[in-house]
Amino acid sequence: MQIKTFQFGTVNFSEENILRFKAGLFGFEELKDFLLIKPDDDNIFYWLYSIEKPNIGFPLIGLNVIYENYPSDEKTTAFGIVTMNKDPLKITVNSKAPVYINQDDKTGFQKIVEDEKYVVHYNLFIE
Amino acid sequence: MLILARKNGDEIIIDSKIIVKVISASDGSVKIGITAPEEIEILRGEIYSKVKESTLRASEESRLRPLDISKLKFNKFKE
Repeated sequence: MQIKTFQFGTVNFSEENILRFKAGLFGFEELKDFLLIKPDDDNIFYWLYSIEKPNIGFPLIGLNVIYENYPSDEKTTAFGIVTMNKDPLKITVNSKAPVYINQDDKTGFQKIVEDEKYVVHYNLFIE
Repeated sequence: MLILARKNGDEIIIDSKIIVKVISASDGSVKIGITAPEEIEILRGEIYSKVKESTLRASEESRLRPLDISKLKFNKFKE
């Protein structure tokens, strides 16, 4: 199977690469199947592409890069959706509504965490 | 929209499994208690809207390539 992405061109994948999001993402509840792409070791961003609508893709970053003990269990990794900007100091990450991904059973879900230290737009970089 | 008048302590039951209870109401603020099965997600409306808007924007802005980030540091959260 393959999808055409704006970031990586044509990407080939197989059934076992598909991540199932039973409830979709907030704002994209209708999208259930995604691919997680890590371009290379130097790149800090992961990309989450919709298989159903490959024109929709998000940069993600592991929230443990920012927070020391971001809530998650041993089976899931917590990612934040990144809002890109030409000015890197204006790039933000959403730590309020993490995307949890379980690579073992190939599932994912997004949830909202109540704790006030987590915010929808957290500046990712400082000088 | 269904509109019901309720007094302090009164409940509303939705689909036999979600209980919405008015704990107290005063000064234009209502305290509500909700009992629901674990798989039912309960969110404050304004937070849901903000998150949804942010996800939509992240999707729109995802094609932007930032200028050089190699000299920048992560903005680590401090307690």
